[in-house]
Amino acid sequence: MLHKSPAQRVALAVFGLVLAGFFLFPTYWMFTTALKTPAQILSPAYDLIPTTATLKNFVNAITKPDFTTFLTNSLIVTLGAVACALAAGLLAAVPLARLRFRGRKGFILLVLIAQLAPLEALFVPMYLIMRDADLLNSLWGLLLVYVAFTLPFTVWTLRGFVKGIPIELEEAAMVDGCGRWGVFTRVTLPLLGPGLVATSVFSFITAWNEFLYALVFMREKDKQTLPVWLSSFKTAFGTDWGGIMAASVIYAIPALIFFLLVQRKLVSGSTAGAVKG
Amino acid sequence: MTSTVDTARPAGNPPPAARPGARRRARRPLSETALPYLMLAPAVVLMLALLAWPALQVLAISFRKLDLGELVRGELKWIGFDNYTAILTDPEFWVIGLRTVLFTAVVVLTTLLLGLGIAVLMRHLSGWVRIVLQVCLVLAWATPIIATTTVFQWIFDQQYGILNKTLVLIGFDSFKGYSWFTSGTSTLAVVGLLVVWQAVPFIAFTLYAGLVSTPKDLYEAAAIDGASGWAAFRAVSWPSVRPLLTLVTFLSVLWDFKVFTQVWAIRQGGPDGESTTLPVLLYLRGIAASHFGVSAAVAVLMLVVLVAVTWRYMRLLVRSPETEL
Repeated sequence: MLHKSPAQRVALAVFGLVLAGFFLFPTYWMFTTALKTPAQILSPAYDLIPTTATLKNFVNAITKPDFTTFLTNSLIVTLGAVACALAAGLLAAVPLARLRFRGRKGFILLVLIAQLAPLEALFVPMYLIMRDADLLNSLWGLLLVYVAFTLPFTVWTLRGFVKGIPIELEEAAMVDGCGRWGVFTRVTLPLLGPGLVATSVFSFITAWNEFLYALVFMREKDKQTLPVWLSSFKTAFGTDWGGIMAASVIYAIPALIFFLLVQRKLVSGSTAGAVKG
Repeated sequence: MTSTVDTARPAGNPPPAARPGARRRARRPLSETALPYLMLAPAVVLMLALLAWPALQVLAISFRKLDLGELVRGELKWIGFDNYTAILTDPEFWVIGLRTVLFTAVVVLTTLLLGLGIAVLMRHLSGWVRIVLQVCLVLAWATPIIATTTVFQWIFDQQYGILNKTLVLIGFDSFKGYSWFTSGTSTLAVVGLLVVWQAVPFIAFTLYAGLVSTPKDLYEAAAIDGASGWAAFRAVSWPSVRPLLTLVTFLSVLWDFKVFTQVWAIRQGGPDGESTTLPVLLYLRGIAASHFGVSAAVAVLMLVVLVAVTWRYMRLLVRSPETEL
């Protein structure tokens, strides 16, 4: 099965490249459209491969008022949410995977059921809670919302990764004189690398993409995030396709950088930890 | 999993008695007993305050008449099951519900088949082709939803979209100025394609991780025993992929049933509400029209459907030896 004839190998490679093209195309099209002038975009000519390029759309997008504010807000809220979700999630995952205590199963059930709720449905009570806590229009409020949304998945996945670490390693460190904290920082945490990465991708995507809560909770313009900024390119008079594609590219870049940074561990880790006993 | 326990247990413990926990717990100092609860506290507080409490409120609101007026005045008007009766007797709800279930089923099935196919394919591809495919998948995965949705709108654009241009170029002249969004089915087909395109990378990588963790010797042994292709896949790959496949099916059902942003951004559930799904209905009744009671009832019904569909798997997860210590 692992030995194939040359013809088979070529056929497989062609098939793989066709699939790669299918998944690449929208991203490719976003980039190339962003490099076109309005005249090129609305020309009837067939232009799958661009011949000329302009950076004007990018310059326009970046020099739009408040772009840096939107970008900073998005970065603060997203990275903050990722960090908080990982910290709270890890704290909860360790006892769930390692300690015996009353209420464990109940908590696991809560974590599972929490993933069923449609987030749009929680909108009204969430709005009232944030209003009463005086957290509307505050990046902290939005950050808390995102942490809550991603926490169940984070706890669930990290629990699996912690269980995947052979307990013998932790016991050996204890025999060698490590305290609980020492075991955690020297053994458990380093081995959890791939697990933390795989889990952080999920909270990153959720927070970076979220639109509805950001739009309604953040009334003041200087508190809004990039998804809201992106929607401002569509007006009643039509869509500036070149502009919105350039903005989309800019919006996608931090996510791409994040993925590239974690990519290697991602491919090996993924959610493997979620089901391993 | 081995019967590992609490690291606090001293080495060389006698074999566990009938209730091993009881004696140990009695000996444990208070700080030990409190430790798990202290560690769980931040997550529990956050989840109770920002998920469980709002969810209970949604349940309560579904039994109230809550429009903008009541909301502003802070008025409590209990109306029992009226919201549910209103929805369940509305034929539109059943059409939308059925549409959502069908949409979810088709999208989940397509995603899983494609994801599994790609995972198996990646195992058989040689060096650079596999890396090219993986990079393209990661790019698709990382592109934010709203950006992707916008690109899809642009690709499917009536006048200048590259898809219609390409179709005309290869001879299908009827696609000149063809609109993909005149019927609910074709609008949902575009949304479905968009969702599949975004979801496949995660599924493919997860299943690929499962396949890679299968030792190669097993395949060689299978080959020696005369198993090839399909038989080897069933005997060797399938057992290691199956639990992961169940997990990603569970997650896909949860995620695809609740898809909102993409459906809303493409045509706001149009034309004429023909591509409206349950999450869009929830939004239209609630945030858009300010009938929060009705909207909450829709949310509760959605949750009931999801629990009904996933109940067996969740019970399995909670009861399985894997959640034991």
